[in-house]
Amino acid sequence: MSYRETNIFVSLASSLLVLGYYLVSWLQMYQEEGLNSAKVFRLWLIVIVATIVLNILGNILTNIVLSIAHAIKTQSKEEPHFIEDERDKLVELKGVKAAYITFSIGVFLSMLTFVFGQPPLVMFSLIIFFSVTAEIVGDIFQLYLYRRGVRYG
Amino acid sequence: MDKRRVRNNIRKLRFYQDEMTQEQLAEKVGVTRQTIIAIEGGKYAPSLELAFRIALAFGVPLGEVFSYTSDEESA
Repeated sequence: MSYRETNIFVSLASSLLVLGYYLVSWLQMYQEEGLNSAKVFRLWLIVIVATIVLNILGNILTNIVLSIAHAIKTQSKEEPHFIEDERDKLVELKGVKAAYITFSIGVFLSMLTFVFGQPPLVMFSLIIFFSVTAEIVGDIFQLYLYRRGVRYG
Repeated sequence: MDKRRVRNNIRKLRFYQDEMTQEQLAEKVGVTRQTIIAIEGGKYAPSLELAFRIALAFGVPLGEVFSYTSDEESA
């Protein structure tokens, strides 16, 4: 597995963790006491901060582990240079595109709940859900392209 | 439109260059080894610039490294 694939895999794992936590917390809240705006806002804050922190920590840890693995493999103290070439950029671009499409559809579906009489809290909760889901879809699509191959256009 | 795709002779050319490794070629042209593996396996068609850089690394014209042929033509 290449450096970029490892990074994407770590990002995917952290997004899945955050999504799992969000879904469990939200459903618990919904079943126990209904949607309480103060608690929902707190949950959103936790999800947003957790996503950022987990991604940063994941990246740092991946870099450290890969650097150690590189040093052991090459038996040198020379710092590894993980380059990002044109193929990586193309894969990333297509992953971002897939994430945007997912998010756009998600936002549209979230707005539909508002149209059908659900409170705004449900709509915004769904938007947060789809933003994390979009990231997951983007990551999975990138991993798929690395395995299957990628073409321009 | 007939189905053509970019094919390459990188494996053969590496052999003629004293079994140049994928890592060495990757370093010469400034990409990752995974990209060279993908190009060699036909899973990625490189940009024109990278294609020229690969040809330059082998010291041969572009047409000797890459071809744009259909399955029938390459058989």
